[in-house]
Amino acid sequence: MALYIYGIIDSSDRINEPIYGLDGACVYNISYCDIGGVVSELSEQLQNVTKNSVLAHEEVIERLMGHFTVLPVKFDTVFDGRDCVLSMMQSYYRHFKDNLNRLRDKFEFGVKVIWPADKIKKRIRNSHKKNEHEMPIPDGSSNKKFMRKKLEKYRINEEFEKKANKFINVMDIFFSKFAVEKTLKKLKTENLLLDAAYLVEKDRQDDFKEAFEHVKSSQPDFKYLFSGPWPAYNFVILSNKNDLLKDSEQEDLFDRVIQQRELVGVDKIWH
Amino acid sequence: MHDVVTKSRDVTLLEVLDRVLDKGVVISGDAVISVADVDLIYLGLKVLLSSVETMEQLRGAPITGPMQEPT
Amino acid sequence: MALNSVVETDFPEEFIEEMEKTDGVLPKKIDANPENVEKGLAKLVLTLIELLRKLLEKQAMRRVEAGSLSEEEIEKVGETLMKLENKMKELKQIFDLEDEELNLNLGPLGDLM
Repeated sequence: MALYIYGIIDSSDRINEPIYGLDGACVYNISYCDIGGVVSELSEQLQNVTKNSVLAHEEVIERLMGHFTVLPVKFDTVFDGRDCVLSMMQSYYRHFKDNLNRLRDKFEFGVKVIWPADKIKKRIRNSHKKNEHEMPIPDGSSNKKFMRKKLEKYRINEEFEKKANKFINVMDIFFSKFAVEKTLKKLKTENLLLDAAYLVEKDRQDDFKEAFEHVKSSQPDFKYLFSGPWPAYNFVILSNKNDLLKDSEQEDLFDRVIQQRELVGVDKIWH
Repeated sequence: MHDVVTKSRDVTLLEVLDRVLDKGVVISGDAVISVADVDLIYLGLKVLLSSVETMEQLRGAPITGPMQEPT
Repeated sequence: MALNSVVETDFPEEFIEEMEKTDGVLPKKIDANPENVEKGLAKLVLTLIELLRKLLEKQAMRRVEAGSLSEEEIEKVGETLMKLENKMKELKQIFDLEDEELNLNLGPLGDLM
Protein backbone atom coordinates (compact mmCIF):
# COMPACT_ATOMS: atom_id res chain seq x y z
CA MET A 1 0.00 0.00 0.00
CA ALA A 2 1.49 3.29 -1.08
CA LEU A 3 1.82 5.67 1.84
CA TYR A 4 2.06 9.40 1.28
CA ILE A 5 3.92 11.13 4.10
CA TYR A 6 3.22 14.68 5.25
CA GLY A 7 5.46 15.26 8.22
CA ILE A 8 7.37 13.95 11.20
CA ILE A 9 5.88 14.78 14.59
CA ASP A 10 7.21 14.62 18.13
CA SER A 11 4.58 12.18 19.31
CA SER A 12 3.83 8.50 19.09
CA ASP A 13 0.15 9.03 19.91
CA ARG A 14 -2.75 8.39 17.64
CA ILE A 15 -4.16 11.39 15.88
CA ASN A 16 -7.53 11.94 17.49
CA GLU A 17 -9.17 14.53 15.30
CA PRO A 18 -9.96 13.49 11.75
CA ILE A 19 -7.57 15.16 9.32
CA TYR A 20 -7.96 14.48 5.62
CA GLY A 21 -5.18 14.68 3.08
CA LEU A 22 -4.73 13.78 -0.56
CA ASP A 23 -7.54 11.83 -2.16
CA GLY A 24 -9.64 12.66 0.88
CA ALA A 25 -7.87 9.90 2.80
CA CYS A 26 -7.67 10.16 6.56
CA VAL A 27 -4.17 10.66 7.92
CA TYR A 28 -2.72 8.58 10.73
CA ASN A 29 0.46 8.37 12.72
CA ILE A 30 3.02 5.62 12.28
CA SER A 31 4.92 5.73 15.52
CA TYR A 32 8.57 4.90 16.06
CA CYS A 33 9.82 5.29 19.62
CA ASP A 34 8.69 8.72 20.74
CA ILE A 35 8.16 10.23 17.30
CA GLY A 36 5.86 9.50 14.39
CA GLY A 37 5.42 9.81 10.65
CA VAL A 38 2.05 11.11 9.59
CA VAL A 39 0.81 9.38 6.46
CA SER A 40 -2.26 8.65 4.45
CA GLU A 41 -2.95 5.85 2.01
CA LEU A 42 -2.82 6.57 -1.67
CA SER A 43 -5.16 4.84 -4.04
CA GLU A 44 -3.67 2.44 -6.56
CA GLN A 45 -4.13 4.91 -9.35
CA LEU A 46 -1.31 7.35 -9.73
CA GLN A 47 -1.81 10.79 -8.34
CA ASN A 48 -1.97 13.88 -10.48
CA VAL A 49 0.01 16.84 -9.24
CA THR A 50 -2.38 19.72 -8.94
CA LYS A 51 -2.88 22.94 -7.11
CA ASN A 52 -5.41 21.18 -4.90
CA SER A 53 -3.06 18.39 -3.89
CA VAL A 54 -0.34 20.87 -2.99
CA LEU A 55 -2.74 22.88 -0.84
CA ALA A 56 -4.13 19.68 0.71
CA HIS A 57 -0.59 18.70 1.64
CA GLU A 58 0.07 22.05 3.27
CA GLU A 59 -3.23 22.05 5.08
CA VAL A 60 -2.51 18.71 6.75
CA ILE A 61 0.81 19.99 8.04
CA GLU A 62 -0.75 23.18 9.36
CA ARG A 63 -3.47 21.22 11.16
CA LEU A 64 -0.76 19.10 12.78
CA MET A 65 1.11 22.25 13.75
CA GLY A 66 -1.76 23.09 16.05
CA HIS A 67 -0.99 20.09 18.28
CA PHE A 68 2.57 18.98 17.61
CA THR A 69 5.98 20.09 16.51
CA VAL A 70 6.14 19.13 12.85
CA LEU A 71 9.01 18.60 10.46
CA PRO A 72 7.28 19.18 7.12
CA VAL A 73 8.15 16.61 4.48
CA LYS A 74 8.68 17.62 0.87
CA PHE A 75 5.68 17.30 -1.37
CA ASP A 76 5.28 14.02 -3.19
CA THR A 77 7.24 11.74 -0.86
CA VAL A 78 5.77 8.26 -1.00
CA PHE A 79 6.77 4.97 0.60
CA ASP A 80 5.71 1.52 -0.47
CA GLY A 81 4.41 0.32 2.86
CA ARG A 82 4.57 0.66 6.59
CA ASP A 83 7.88 -1.19 6.91
CA CYS A 84 9.59 1.25 4.59
CA VAL A 85 8.34 4.16 6.68
CA LEU A 86 9.57 2.52 9.88
CA SER A 87 12.94 1.73 8.38
CA MET A 88 13.29 5.33 7.24
CA MET A 89 12.41 6.61 10.69
CA GLN A 90 14.93 4.29 12.23
CA SER A 91 17.67 5.62 9.94
CA TYR A 92 16.82 9.25 10.57
CA TYR A 93 15.68 8.98 14.17
CA ARG A 94 18.51 10.97 15.67
CA HIS A 95 18.25 13.67 12.95
CA PHE A 96 14.52 13.92 13.42
CA LYS A 97 14.78 14.15 17.20
CA ASP A 98 17.41 16.88 17.00
CA ASN A 99 15.35 18.90 14.56
CA LEU A 100 12.13 18.44 16.55
CA ASN A 101 13.83 19.64 19.71
CA ARG A 102 15.41 22.58 17.96
CA LEU A 103 12.26 23.66 16.18
CA ARG A 104 9.77 23.18 19.01
CA ASP A 105 7.44 26.19 19.50
CA LYS A 106 9.01 28.04 16.61
CA PHE A 107 7.47 29.14 13.33
CA GLU A 108 8.85 30.31 10.05
CA PHE A 109 7.99 33.72 8.66
CA GLY A 110 8.75 34.86 5.15
CA VAL A 111 9.75 38.37 4.16
CA LYS A 112 10.19 39.49 0.57
CA VAL A 113 11.16 42.97 -0.55
CA ILE A 114 11.01 44.51 -4.01
CA TRP A 115 13.02 47.63 -4.70
CA PRO A 116 13.03 49.89 -7.78
CA ALA A 117 16.14 48.42 -9.42
CA ASP A 118 15.82 50.45 -12.64
CA LYS A 119 15.50 53.73 -10.79
CA ILE A 120 18.49 52.94 -8.63
CA LYS A 121 20.66 51.88 -11.55
CA LYS A 122 19.69 55.08 -13.34
CA ARG A 123 20.68 57.13 -10.33
CA ILE A 124 24.03 55.36 -10.14
CA ARG A 125 24.63 55.79 -13.85
CA ASN A 126 23.89 59.51 -13.63
CA SER A 127 26.13 60.04 -10.64
CA HIS A 128 28.94 58.23 -12.46
CA LYS A 129 28.54 60.51 -15.47
CA LYS A 130 28.54 63.61 -13.31
CA ASN A 131 31.51 62.65 -11.20
CA GLU A 132 33.75 61.75 -14.11
CA HIS A 133 35.25 58.70 -12.44
CA GLU A 134 38.78 58.13 -13.58
CA MET A 135 38.63 55.96 -16.68
CA PRO A 136 41.85 53.95 -16.74
CA ILE A 137 41.20 52.81 -20.30
CA PRO A 138 41.86 55.35 -23.07
CA ASP A 139 39.41 55.64 -25.93
CA GLY A 140 40.47 54.28 -29.29
CA SER A 141 40.19 50.89 -30.93
CA SER A 142 37.03 48.82 -30.87
CA ASN A 143 38.68 46.57 -28.29
CA LYS A 144 39.32 49.56 -26.04
CA LYS A 145 35.76 50.79 -26.52
CA PHE A 146 34.52 47.33 -25.59
CA MET A 147 36.59 47.35 -22.42
CA ARG A 148 35.47 50.85 -21.48
CA LYS A 149 31.85 49.82 -21.77
CA LYS A 150 32.49 46.66 -19.75
CA LEU A 151 34.25 48.60 -17.02
CA GLU A 152 31.41 51.05 -16.75
CA LYS A 153 28.92 48.21 -16.44
CA TYR A 154 31.11 46.51 -13.87
CA ARG A 155 31.32 49.67 -11.76
CA ILE A 156 27.60 50.28 -11.87
CA ASN A 157 26.95 46.66 -10.90
CA GLU A 158 29.38 46.83 -7.99
CA GLU A 159 27.70 49.91 -6.61
CA PHE A 160 24.29 48.39 -7.18
CA GLU A 161 25.23 45.35 -5.10
CA LYS A 162 26.80 47.51 -2.42
CA LYS A 163 23.59 49.49 -2.07
CA ALA A 164 21.58 46.28 -1.95
CA ASN A 165 23.73 44.89 0.84
CA LYS A 166 23.39 48.12 2.80
CA PHE A 167 19.60 48.04 2.71
CA ILE A 168 19.45 44.32 3.43
CA ASN A 169 21.75 44.63 6.44
CA VAL A 170 19.62 47.37 7.97
CA MET A 171 16.43 45.36 7.53
CA ASP A 172 18.05 42.19 8.77
CA ILE A 173 19.16 43.89 11.98
CA PHE A 174 15.56 44.65 12.85
CA PHE A 175 14.23 41.21 11.96
CA SER A 176 17.06 39.32 13.62
CA LYS A 177 16.22 40.90 16.97
CA PHE A 178 13.26 38.57 17.26
CA ALA A 179 14.43 35.59 15.25
CA VAL A 180 16.60 32.67 16.30
CA GLU A 181 17.61 31.57 12.81
CA LYS A 182 17.37 32.96 9.30
CA THR A 183 18.07 32.29 5.66
CA LEU A 184 18.58 35.23 3.30
CA LYS A 185 18.58 35.28 -0.48
CA LYS A 186 19.87 38.58 -1.79
CA LEU A 187 18.93 39.91 -5.23
CA LYS A 188 17.29 36.75 -6.49
CA THR A 189 16.25 38.95 -9.36
CA GLU A 190 17.26 42.56 -9.90
CA ASN A 191 14.01 43.73 -8.36
CA LEU A 192 13.67 41.11 -5.64
CA LEU A 193 16.07 42.68 -3.20
CA LEU A 194 15.42 40.18 -0.45
CA ASP A 195 13.80 36.79 -0.08
CA ALA A 196 14.19 35.77 3.53
CA ALA A 197 12.87 33.24 6.00
CA TYR A 198 13.11 33.83 9.73
CA LEU A 199 12.60 31.29 12.49
CA VAL A 200 10.66 32.98 15.27
CA GLU A 201 9.66 31.72 18.70
CA LYS A 202 5.94 31.43 19.28
CA ASP A 203 6.00 34.13 21.96
CA ARG A 204 7.83 36.61 19.79
CA GLN A 205 5.53 36.45 16.79
CA ASP A 206 3.92 39.80 17.54
CA ASP A 207 7.25 41.49 18.13
CA PHE A 208 8.48 40.17 14.84
CA LYS A 209 5.40 41.45 13.01
CA GLU A 210 5.92 44.81 14.66
CA ALA A 211 9.53 44.90 13.48
CA PHE A 212 8.30 44.20 9.97
CA GLU A 213 5.78 47.04 10.12
CA HIS A 214 8.52 49.33 11.33
CA VAL A 215 10.84 48.42 8.47
CA LYS A 216 7.97 48.83 6.03
CA SER A 217 7.13 52.32 7.22
CA SER A 218 10.73 53.49 7.39
CA GLN A 219 11.33 52.61 3.73
CA PRO A 220 7.95 53.22 2.09
CA ASP A 221 9.08 53.30 -1.52
CA PHE A 222 9.92 49.61 -1.43
CA LYS A 223 7.31 46.86 -1.76
CA TYR A 224 6.87 44.22 0.91
CA LEU A 225 5.44 40.75 1.33
CA PHE A 226 4.98 39.11 4.71
CA SER A 227 3.93 35.49 5.15
CA GLY A 228 3.47 33.02 7.94
CA PRO A 229 3.34 31.38 10.31
CA TRP A 230 4.71 28.45 8.33
CA PRO A 231 6.07 25.13 9.47
CA ALA A 232 9.88 25.38 9.50
CA TYR A 233 10.46 24.35 5.88
CA ASN A 234 13.66 26.33 5.55
CA PHE A 235 15.14 25.23 8.83
CA VAL A 236 15.12 21.46 8.76
CA ILE A 237 18.69 20.24 8.71
CA LEU A 238 19.30 16.75 7.48
CA SER A 239 22.49 15.36 6.16
CA ASN A 240 22.63 12.16 4.20
CA LYS A 241 23.80 9.24 6.30
CA ASN A 242 25.99 8.01 3.50
CA ASP A 243 27.97 11.21 3.12
CA LEU A 244 31.67 10.70 2.70
CA LEU A 245 32.48 14.19 3.91
CA LYS A 246 32.37 15.12 7.57
CA ASP A 247 30.13 18.05 8.45
CA SER A 248 33.05 20.46 8.76
CA GLU A 249 34.48 19.40 5.42
CA GLN A 250 31.08 19.86 3.85
CA GLU A 251 30.90 23.36 5.23
CA ASP A 252 34.31 24.16 3.74
CA LEU A 253 33.16 22.93 0.38
CA PHE A 254 29.98 24.98 0.55
CA ASP A 255 31.96 28.06 1.55
CA ARG A 256 34.35 27.68 -1.35
CA VAL A 257 31.57 27.25 -3.85
CA ILE A 258 29.72 30.25 -2.41
CA GLN A 259 32.89 32.30 -2.72
CA GLN A 260 33.13 31.40 -6.38
CA ARG A 261 29.55 32.41 -6.88
CA GLU A 262 30.22 35.75 -5.28
CA LEU A 263 33.07 36.32 -7.71
CA VAL A 264 30.56 36.08 -10.49
CA GLY A 265 27.91 37.77 -8.45
CA VAL A 266 24.46 38.70 -9.58
CA ASP A 267 25.21 40.09 -12.98
CA LYS A 268 21.83 41.28 -13.95
CA ILE A 269 23.03 44.30 -15.90
CA TRP A 270 25.82 42.49 -17.63
CA HIS A 271 23.84 41.83 -20.80
CA MET B 1 -12.69 42.73 -6.65
CA HIS B 2 -12.66 39.20 -7.97
CA ASP B 3 -9.35 39.97 -9.61
CA VAL B 4 -7.78 40.98 -6.32
CA VAL B 5 -9.03 37.85 -4.63
CA THR B 6 -7.63 35.66 -7.38
CA LYS B 7 -4.28 37.37 -7.29
CA SER B 8 -4.04 37.08 -3.50
CA ARG B 9 -4.87 33.41 -3.71
CA ASP B 10 -2.23 32.99 -6.39
CA VAL B 11 0.42 34.68 -4.31
CA THR B 12 -0.47 32.33 -1.48
CA LEU B 13 -0.14 29.36 -3.80
CA LEU B 14 3.26 30.59 -4.94
CA GLU B 15 4.42 30.94 -1.36
CA VAL B 16 3.22 27.41 -0.61
CA LEU B 17 4.86 25.98 -3.73
CA ASP B 18 8.09 27.78 -2.90
CA ARG B 19 8.19 25.76 0.33
CA VAL B 20 6.62 22.37 -0.29
CA LEU B 21 8.23 21.53 -3.60
CA ASP B 22 11.84 21.28 -2.48
CA LYS B 23 12.16 22.19 1.19
CA GLY B 24 11.51 20.52 4.52
CA VAL B 25 12.45 16.91 5.04
CA VAL B 26 13.88 15.82 1.71
CA ILE B 27 14.59 12.15 1.91
CA SER B 28 16.52 10.20 -0.62
CA GLY B 29 16.64 6.48 -0.61
CA ASP B 30 15.63 3.32 -2.37
CA ALA B 31 12.55 2.96 -0.25
CA VAL B 32 11.08 6.16 -1.59
CA ILE B 33 9.19 6.05 -4.83
CA SER B 34 7.66 9.07 -6.37
CA VAL B 35 4.10 8.96 -7.50
CA ALA B 36 4.43 11.80 -9.94
CA ASP B 37 7.04 11.09 -12.51
CA VAL B 38 9.96 13.20 -13.68
CA ASP B 39 9.09 16.84 -13.81
CA LEU B 40 7.14 19.00 -11.48
CA ILE B 41 7.32 21.73 -14.06
CA TYR B 42 5.98 24.94 -12.76
CA LEU B 43 4.67 27.09 -15.57
CA GLY B 44 3.12 30.29 -14.45
CA LEU B 45 0.57 29.34 -11.84
CA LYS B 46 -0.19 25.93 -13.23
CA VAL B 47 1.50 22.85 -11.86
CA LEU B 48 1.83 20.48 -14.76
CA LEU B 49 2.62 16.86 -14.77
CA SER B 50 4.69 15.60 -17.65
CA SER B 51 4.21 11.97 -18.60
CA VAL B 52 3.11 9.77 -15.77
CA GLU B 53 4.99 6.48 -15.86
CA THR B 54 3.93 3.13 -14.55
CA MET B 55 4.99 1.83 -11.16
CA GLU B 56 7.43 -0.64 -12.75
CA GLN B 57 9.35 2.15 -14.43
CA LEU B 58 9.45 4.17 -11.22
CA ARG B 59 10.89 1.38 -9.11
CA GLY B 60 14.64 1.52 -9.33
CA ALA B 61 14.61 5.23 -10.15
CA PRO B 62 15.91 6.74 -6.94
CA ILE B 63 14.87 10.28 -6.26
CA THR B 64 17.58 12.45 -4.78
CA GLY B 65 16.85 15.78 -3.23
CA PRO B 66 19.07 18.65 -2.13
CA MET B 67 20.40 18.70 1.42
CA GLN B 68 19.04 21.40 3.65
CA GLU B 69 21.21 23.91 5.47
CA PRO B 70 20.41 27.40 6.60
CA THR B 71 22.72 29.96 5.03
CA MET C 1 -8.95 25.27 1.31
CA ALA C 2 -8.21 27.14 4.46
CA LEU C 3 -4.62 27.67 5.41
CA ASN C 4 -3.58 29.19 8.71
CA SER C 5 -0.58 30.82 7.18
CA VAL C 6 -1.29 34.26 5.86
CA VAL C 7 0.35 35.99 2.94
CA GLU C 8 0.12 39.77 3.20
CA THR C 9 1.15 42.19 0.54
CA ASP C 10 -0.14 45.33 -1.14
CA PHE C 11 1.49 44.27 -4.39
CA PRO C 12 0.59 40.67 -5.22
CA GLU C 13 1.12 41.03 -8.99
CA GLU C 14 4.63 42.44 -8.60
CA PHE C 15 5.69 39.59 -6.33
CA ILE C 16 4.09 37.01 -8.60
CA GLU C 17 6.08 38.45 -11.49
CA GLU C 18 9.41 38.29 -9.66
CA MET C 19 8.79 34.83 -8.25
CA GLU C 20 7.88 33.46 -11.65
CA LYS C 21 11.14 34.74 -13.06
CA THR C 22 13.15 32.57 -10.71
CA ASP C 23 10.95 29.49 -10.62
CA GLY C 24 11.27 28.83 -14.33
CA VAL C 25 14.94 28.12 -13.88
CA LEU C 26 14.62 25.27 -11.39
CA PRO C 27 15.34 21.90 -12.94
CA LYS C 28 13.21 19.57 -10.90
CA LYS C 29 14.58 16.41 -12.39
CA ILE C 30 16.66 15.46 -15.36
CA ASP C 31 14.68 15.04 -18.51
CA ALA C 32 15.78 11.82 -20.21
CA ASN C 33 13.50 12.29 -23.19
CA PRO C 34 15.74 11.61 -26.23
CA GLU C 35 14.62 14.68 -28.20
CA ASN C 36 15.55 16.91 -25.32
CA VAL C 37 18.78 15.22 -24.28
CA GLU C 38 20.80 17.15 -26.83
CA LYS C 39 19.33 20.47 -25.82
CA GLY C 40 19.75 19.56 -22.14
CA LEU C 41 23.41 18.80 -22.66
CA ALA C 42 23.94 21.97 -24.65
CA LYS C 43 22.33 23.93 -21.86
CA LEU C 44 24.62 22.36 -19.29
CA VAL C 45 27.79 22.92 -21.29
CA LEU C 46 26.91 26.47 -22.29
CA THR C 47 25.94 27.31 -18.72
CA LEU C 48 29.37 26.30 -17.53
CA ILE C 49 31.07 28.21 -20.34
CA GLU C 50 28.99 31.29 -19.50
CA LEU C 51 30.06 30.99 -15.87
CA LEU C 52 33.71 30.88 -16.85
CA ARG C 53 33.29 33.73 -19.30
CA LYS C 54 31.64 35.94 -16.69
CA LEU C 55 34.32 35.04 -14.16
CA LEU C 56 37.02 35.99 -16.66
CA GLU C 57 35.32 39.26 -17.48
CA LYS C 58 34.97 40.15 -13.84
CA GLN C 59 38.59 39.25 -13.13
CA ALA C 60 39.67 41.43 -16.02
CA MET C 61 37.69 44.38 -14.69
CA ARG C 62 39.22 43.91 -11.26
CA ARG C 63 42.69 44.03 -12.75
CA VAL C 64 41.86 47.14 -14.77
CA GLU C 65 40.65 48.87 -11.61
CA ALA C 66 43.78 47.79 -9.79
CA GLY C 67 45.87 49.23 -12.61
CA SER C 68 47.69 45.96 -13.20
CA LEU C 69 47.02 45.73 -16.93
CA SER C 70 49.16 47.52 -19.52
CA GLU C 71 47.52 49.26 -22.47
CA GLU C 72 48.62 46.44 -24.72
CA GLU C 73 47.15 43.85 -22.34
CA ILE C 74 43.88 45.77 -22.19
CA GLU C 75 43.80 45.66 -25.98
CA LYS C 76 44.41 41.89 -26.04
CA VAL C 77 41.96 41.09 -23.25
CA GLY C 78 39.34 43.28 -24.92
CA GLU C 79 39.74 41.41 -28.20
CA THR C 80 39.53 38.01 -26.49
CA LEU C 81 36.51 38.89 -24.38
CA MET C 82 34.73 40.33 -27.38
CA LYS C 83 35.36 37.20 -29.42
CA LEU C 84 34.16 35.02 -26.53
CA GLU C 85 31.01 37.06 -26.15
CA ASN C 86 30.22 36.88 -29.85
CA LYS C 87 30.92 33.15 -29.95
CA MET C 88 28.54 32.61 -27.06
CA LYS C 89 25.83 34.65 -28.78
CA GLU C 90 26.28 32.43 -31.82
CA LEU C 91 26.06 29.20 -29.81
CA LYS C 92 23.02 30.42 -27.93
CA GLN C 93 21.31 31.10 -31.24
CA ILE C 94 22.24 27.73 -32.68
CA PHE C 95 20.79 25.88 -29.70
CA ASP C 96 17.93 28.29 -29.34
CA LEU C 97 18.72 29.15 -25.73
CA GLU C 98 17.95 32.37 -23.88
CA ASP C 99 20.27 33.94 -21.31
CA GLU C 100 17.83 33.14 -18.51
CA GLU C 101 17.94 29.44 -19.39
CA LEU C 102 21.67 29.23 -18.82
CA ASN C 103 21.60 28.88 -15.10
CA LEU C 104 21.77 26.02 -12.66
CA ASN C 105 20.00 25.55 -9.39
CA LEU C 106 22.37 24.17 -6.81
CA GLY C 107 19.76 23.42 -4.14
CA PRO C 108 20.84 24.95 -0.84
CA LEU C 109 23.45 27.06 -2.62
CA GLY C 110 20.86 28.80 -4.73
CA ASP C 111 21.37 29.50 -8.39
CA LEU C 112 24.81 29.26 -9.97
CA MET C 113 24.66 32.74 -11.41
